[in-house]
Amino acid sequence: MSAIPIHTEAEAFARSSLDYDRLIENDRVHASLYADPAVFHDELATMYATGWVYVGHASEVPQPGDYATKAVGLQSVIMARHTDGKVYVLHNRCTHRSSQVCHEPAGHGDRLTCPYHGWSFAMNGELKTVPGPGGYDQSFDKAALGLVPLPRVGEYRGFVFASLAATGVSLDEHLGRAKESIDMICNLSPQGEIELSAGWMKTRIRANWKMIVENQVDGYHAPFVHGSLMRANRRFATVRDRRESSPARVRDLGNGHSEIDHATDYRDKGTTLRWSGNIEESRLPRYVAAMNAAYGPDEARRRMIDGPPHTAIFPNLFLAEMAIMVVQPISEKETIHWTTPVMLKGGEELNERTLRRGEGAVGPAGFIIADDIEVSERAQKSINNLHPEWLVLKRGLHTEELQPDGTRTAGLMDETTQRAFWRQYKKVMGAGK
Amino acid sequence: MSIDSSIVEFIYREARLQDEHRYEEWEALWTDDALYWVPANDDNADPTRQVSYIYDNRSRIASRIQQLKTGQRHAQSPASRMRRVVSNIELESEDGADVRAAANFLLIEVRHGEQNVWCGRTLYRLRREDGGLRMQQKKVLLVNNAEPIRNLAFLI
Repeated sequence: MSAIPIHTEAEAFARSSLDYDRLIENDRVHASLYADPAVFHDELATMYATGWVYVGHASEVPQPGDYATKAVGLQSVIMARHTDGKVYVLHNRCTHRSSQVCHEPAGHGDRLTCPYHGWSFAMNGELKTVPGPGGYDQSFDKAALGLVPLPRVGEYRGFVFASLAATGVSLDEHLGRAKESIDMICNLSPQGEIELSAGWMKTRIRANWKMIVENQVDGYHAPFVHGSLMRANRRFATVRDRRESSPARVRDLGNGHSEIDHATDYRDKGTTLRWSGNIEESRLPRYVAAMNAAYGPDEARRRMIDGPPHTAIFPNLFLAEMAIMVVQPISEKETIHWTTPVMLKGGEELNERTLRRGEGAVGPAGFIIADDIEVSERAQKSINNLHPEWLVLKRGLHTEELQPDGTRTAGLMDETTQRAFWRQYKKVMGAGK
Repeated sequence: MSIDSSIVEFIYREARLQDEHRYEEWEALWTDDALYWVPANDDNADPTRQVSYIYDNRSRIASRIQQLKTGQRHAQSPASRMRRVVSNIELESEDGADVRAAANFLLIEVRHGEQNVWCGRTLYRLRREDGGLRMQQKKVLLVNNAEPIRNLAFLI
């Protein structure tokens, strides 16, 4: 039985008239994609309702009874670990009278208990206790009144994804080559595991979520948007090459995922740990020793040169080098940005440094992201201007290379990454028509 | 414990220098072992394990000011127009040169046609030096530090 949708007729009409083939061309996209509430509603009903969306990380709920409140599109969900050791993703809405069950960002307990009438649920959603059971007869089907699980939940190396749809491509298929980026961050831990245990910096941004995603893998803006940092603190800002002639490449990984491959630049320089702020190995003796012991000196050295990924995973996850960022759409003109520094298991010497670099760079007070947010907001402000109608994504289209493995690569400052996003967007959104 | 007027005046002046973007004068208030700290999520979070919004030592304060002074720190170019009211000042302890005080603040920030309200309690650790006061630590407990916040590129 299909769900009865809750929307207005006007919304449904507006959505039905959207033609993504017209709005998205190979080298330009229409402004209405960022401005039109009907597009936003359509995204919720289409890509956020049928595809895989990043929910959270298993390390946020390490023990049975741990839970964290998360979002899939506008749906509030609970990510919880049950006594069977598995992570469940449940709709955060009591099956009785709709009260929000969890209101804290995270917590721990034997049960998830609704504050309204005290219905309590196990971490797998099962309804366990209903106060005053005498008020119900045999037709009361307790088994059917568990918290509603999202039909599909998948995990790759601790990264938990879910889909509101019961069918569709597998998570493995969806992630495709982006799995290598997830491997890359995990591989920096001598134990092969990261922990998102440092808490979140949350920023409210007055811009469409897609502006934020496109900017994450934009190699073109840095000298302009981040020029002030380069002038204020070259050491913090210039650990890698941002010139047009940089050996770093951008890459369309397929399925809407894309990356800036800084590793090529780091390899060119041939020194380890440039990504950590260019610190000497001698200052992280235990970390370096643990990496060598875990992977052997050659492989450890390779990993410590290459560093972390800079990869946007469609649609809402960003592996932002030593931070994880999650984009939460709120409306066509408002987004919440979640950021946490990556803690490496077995990398304690590095972790406190990663916290400080994360604050300095990528929070709302950070030297980098605050300016990205500012320019995204300025772009959003003028998106309702009537002219020009289009945003131009032509850069590097004539020089990008289709590789034998199906990826597309181009120079650091080319817009191959944005085109990668829009190609998948068009595919997903158009499929709903 | 009655509070010395020099402490109150220092706190008012520090607030005004921030409101008026008098970056160099504000920077000069800090001691060399400075800590400028705005926790995220929890006022009592352990900074060795938990991320903050700001956790600046003296050299990072210098970078922050340098960046603002370039005029190309887009998130503060143009700068926010701001005024804050500082009140409920309490002296927590005074031990030789080491002074601990706390105060509430209510700040209105206007930028790009939008008015933002910021509010919190500030814990100051001041040091008496050469007959004056300097700031060794400023910890700002935002009432909304567990919620999504707007850009915090100005001095709070």
